[in-house]
Amino acid sequence: MVAAFDFVPAIVLLPFVSFLIALFAGKYMPKGGALAGIAATAGSLLLSIWVAISLLGVSGERIHQETIYTWATGIGDQPWELTFGVLIDPLSALMLIIVTLIATLVHVFSLGYMNDEGETGLPRYYAGLGLFTASMLGFVVADNLLMAFMFFELVGLCSFLLIGFWFRRDGPPSAAKKAFLVTRFGDYFFLIGVVAVFATFGTAQFAGPESFPVLAEQAVAGDTSVVNTTFGLEPTQWFTIVGLLVLGGVVGKSAQFPLHTWLPDAMQGPTPVSALIHAATMVAAGVYLVARMYGFYAVSPTALAIIAFIGGFTALFAATMGVVKREIKQVLAYSTISQYGYMMLALGAGSYVAATFHLMTHAFFKALLFLGAGAVIIAMHHNENMWDMGGLKDKMPVTYATFLAGSLALAGIFPFSGFWSKDEILYEAFIYGLNDPLLLGGWVMGLLAVPITAFYTFRMVFLTFHGEPRSETARNPHGFGWNVKGPLSVLGVLAVVAGFINMVPVQKLTGIELDFLTQYLDSGGEGLTYSGYNALLAEYGGYEAGVVGTEVTTLLIAAGLSLGLAVTGLLVAFKLYNVPEPVEHTAKLGQVKDVLYNNYYQDEFQVWIAHRTQSVAAVADKFDQGVIDGVVNGVSSVSLFGGRRMRKLQTGLVTNYAALLTLGLTALLLAFGLLGGWFV
Amino acid sequence: MDPTVVTTAALQSQLPEWTALGPVIVLGLTGLLLLTIDAIWPKRNANTTYAIVSAAGAIIALGITVWYLVAGTGQETHGGAITLFSEAIVVDGMALFFTAIFTSVAALVIVASHDYLKGHENSAEFYSLLMFATTGMALMAVSNSLVTVFVSLEMASLPSYALVGFLKKDRGSVEASLKYFLIGALSSAVFLFGISLIYAVTGSLLLTEISAQFADGGVAGFAGVAGIGVLMIAGGFAYKTASVPFHFWAPEAYEGAPAPVSAFLSSASKAAGFVVAFRVFAEAFMPLLEVTPAIDWALAFAVLAVLTMVVGNFAAATQENVKRMLAYSSIGHAGYALIGLAALTAGGPHNGDVMGAAMAHLLIYGFMNTGAFLFIAMVEYWGVGRTFEDYAGLSQKAPLACVAMAVFMFSLAGLPVFGGFFSKYALFASAVSAGFWWLAAVGAVTSALSLYYYSRVVKAIWIEEPNGNLDVIESKPTGLYAAIIFAAVATVLLLPGFPIALETAEAAASALFA
Repeated sequence: MVAAFDFVPAIVLLPFVSFLIALFAGKYMPKGGALAGIAATAGSLLLSIWVAISLLGVSGERIHQETIYTWATGIGDQPWELTFGVLIDPLSALMLIIVTLIATLVHVFSLGYMNDEGETGLPRYYAGLGLFTASMLGFVVADNLLMAFMFFELVGLCSFLLIGFWFRRDGPPSAAKKAFLVTRFGDYFFLIGVVAVFATFGTAQFAGPESFPVLAEQAVAGDTSVVNTTFGLEPTQWFTIVGLLVLGGVVGKSAQFPLHTWLPDAMQGPTPVSALIHAATMVAAGVYLVARMYGFYAVSPTALAIIAFIGGFTALFAATMGVVKREIKQVLAYSTISQYGYMMLALGAGSYVAATFHLMTHAFFKALLFLGAGAVIIAMHHNENMWDMGGLKDKMPVTYATFLAGSLALAGIFPFSGFWSKDEILYEAFIYGLNDPLLLGGWVMGLLAVPITAFYTFRMVFLTFHGEPRSETARNPHGFGWNVKGPLSVLGVLAVVAGFINMVPVQKLTGIELDFLTQYLDSGGEGLTYSGYNALLAEYGGYEAGVVGTEVTTLLIAAGLSLGLAVTGLLVAFKLYNVPEPVEHTAKLGQVKDVLYNNYYQDEFQVWIAHRTQSVAAVADKFDQGVIDGVVNGVSSVSLFGGRRMRKLQTGLVTNYAALLTLGLTALLLAFGLLGGWFV
Repeated sequence: MDPTVVTTAALQSQLPEWTALGPVIVLGLTGLLLLTIDAIWPKRNANTTYAIVSAAGAIIALGITVWYLVAGTGQETHGGAITLFSEAIVVDGMALFFTAIFTSVAALVIVASHDYLKGHENSAEFYSLLMFATTGMALMAVSNSLVTVFVSLEMASLPSYALVGFLKKDRGSVEASLKYFLIGALSSAVFLFGISLIYAVTGSLLLTEISAQFADGGVAGFAGVAGIGVLMIAGGFAYKTASVPFHFWAPEAYEGAPAPVSAFLSSASKAAGFVVAFRVFAEAFMPLLEVTPAIDWALAFAVLAVLTMVVGNFAAATQENVKRMLAYSSIGHAGYALIGLAALTAGGPHNGDVMGAAMAHLLIYGFMNTGAFLFIAMVEYWGVGRTFEDYAGLSQKAPLACVAMAVFMFSLAGLPVFGGFFSKYALFASAVSAGFWWLAAVGAVTSALSLYYYSRVVKAIWIEEPNGNLDVIESKPTGLYAAIIFAAVATVLLLPGFPIALETAEAAASALFA
């Protein structure tokens, strides 16, 4: 029988083939290679679904790991193997479906956004999308950290190419460079982390009895012979450092504070690309990486606490900046940062399932919102300023309905998908936070971000779709076809229903079994399951759930708080902006407005740092010019001088040669004779 | 004779044992055949006939050698080394490996000489001298006694002197020949004196018996005599391999000789010096390192290796004449190969690796260096000139040969895309693992320097514009072209084929230390 797992490499290779087709033959193909891309990603989607379902099978494997190619082996005492391989477990299978689904829909949407709008350079665009998707899929199936790193970098490269797609304008190339450099800064730490993992464990495998999370657990449990820690540190301390190094890459890619500044600028890319970056590929890569090696983080509670705190802080911090933005895509950009903050909070709080759940629901509703925004932008002739919109809901009902579904999900309103996942995150952070002040701090910030999220989301909805049209284009919007409405509808349905796959609160209240996602993620192979991680956390991290009163009251308090706050935020937005002629209320914020507009002067701060580095670089330059080059030049002149001396030895007179030869031999004989004591 | 080694290889186990010397016999008979043909049909212009006969002889000898190597004759897997003539001769993996180098180089040089010798008188002499020199080298590879070592060494040297002076009317050629001969005579005297001292101490000339004597501590009290003997023998080998301070003949001889002869001497003759040095020191003198620390000949070779690498490469860097530059580069490469002796230690686990890597380097060097000198031969044939300026823009006239020349230069420098990289890498890596990181460091630094002068050639032929020097080029010498291209192909193919070559060489070398 043909097993689904045999086709895992094909999932990655299909988009890669579409990349090659678009790159080399895109010019000659209808739609600039879009159809090949759609076919490839749809094929990958079908294969991914098949793979995910076969994991559910009664007798089938729960986890599939296969080394495909060993490209380097260590020699001597260093039996390292650097390999490419695939690891399929419920987590990666779920992620494959998310990525391929969003990628397919983005390809379809691009027909409307790029082809129908008469953009040039389409083969380059579709080649970029294909490679982007292939890189992300390669990252998802990677079975070791080094391979993951390589595809992680490819993802970064593709984002650079796509954000800078319109390279003839001023903004996109600079935004692309910024995205590349800022994420590269984080990746630098990640690279050191990869090397550290190799040096510590001698392997970078994610799963199996010889994988580094398993070895880390053994080391923490007392068997320190399996690892080489550095600087004489205790295993836990060293693992925390390694974990934080890898986290550097995560913070960069998932746009967490303080490396989030590239993401709003990345809005300069085409809107479908933004959807792909935010929902399924680049930004998701960071969170996915933590989830992938969760067994390693589970034994270093300090790293987890830091993750949780960064996550909670980012969630709140980014949400406040989203409140004052004028462009529709900017609002969405800050909401992305904020939502990934929630996922990090969940990971830090020990809830691997909640993070994955939110990653999934967010992928659907954020892709929906971006594609919806893309539709609005088409309609508005590429004007993105929300203050020029208004009243679009009657002119574009499909977009409005789906956008509203996505917004309700983002705001976390019952029963849309975002409610279930966000509620689970906050609930988990709350119960574990009761015993851990750092986690509780993260929870408080996450909770405070809830009303702000609901507020800016609905400010956006009301400004865009409600009230009176505020410009000529808003009165006569541009139309669009099925290729825009189709993806919106699919995602709209998912944004509503995706939450139902893991209704934990309902299960706790009624006792009906509804936690399908939890069970699915718990069905993976040994060491990669949710309950396995929980056991590790309880044993090494001291994670212990607290309750207020009974479990049910705790649940009701947590859910009630977050839902209540979300509704409050929504109502405030309703009051302020759901009027025929909305006005800017930002002036009421006073000084704070400027700070928020300027994103807390983060960019200015980084520029300031960059200037300081410049002076350091100047010193380094001087050193390079003076010392290094001086040494190099010196060496070459000394060599040539020495060479001329050597040349002089060769006089051309055979008597000289005979003399030199004899003298040389005599010198050798004397030296070794005296050294060896031959003459005594 | 040891009865255990009578059962020999699988393929030619039916053959009598003396057939193990087949390559040597074929080479010697070919030389005699050439003289016979010349005596019976003394035609003036039989250049082609002689070239075909001698090339056929070399290729048949090469074929037999490769067959034996593959079939396992004289190797560990098939009953070990075959000894003949009361152990004065030994045929083993190392002998066959080096015979393959000699015969390959000889075949290339013969094919190239056909064009070079067009119109010369007495071409039969040239080919027969070449065949006799090759016979001498093949005998050096199988020598197992200091007598056969000395005789075969002289047998290889004497035809070489005549070959260097083959252009009788060329002053440079004659002068070079005389210098070569005088230095050679001096070195032979030193070498012979060394042999007599060793005989005085051990009472034997057979390498195995010398080794046994040394292992028994038989030199107690005569360490000084033995030490001087060992160093003098080392001096004789240093002459043959053109190592400092016995190298003075090399730049003159290589520059003055006809370029195909330079190719032959700098590749095959050097390798011959190394095979006999490897065998004598690894077999006869190895126990000295263990038993008599006073005679640390490995350290002496280390000193020679460093001196040779430094002098060869530094002097090459300042040459204006391409042929002379190559002559010095060939001295530098002798320094690299000397690491194969210098990095040996008493009972060291890496001895086989180090020497095997040096052997593999000599194999690849055989092709790339021969090819480079043959390119010079072609330029001499055209009469273009000898300096870097004269080579400017050659690629416009002979692009294919210039591609090959670029391959040789970069491979000699050790750039990663060609065979020369792997052999240097294996050599330096094995030296490091044997604990001689400083030898590897000197090798790496001087290799980096060598890139400078090798790339000057490539720059001249590919980048610089011709300055009117190329108008003399009229014909395309087919034989020279074919030999150059073949050498280039071999240099490139030895990149993927290097593991096989290295494995064979290491197995052959390890057998010596077993």
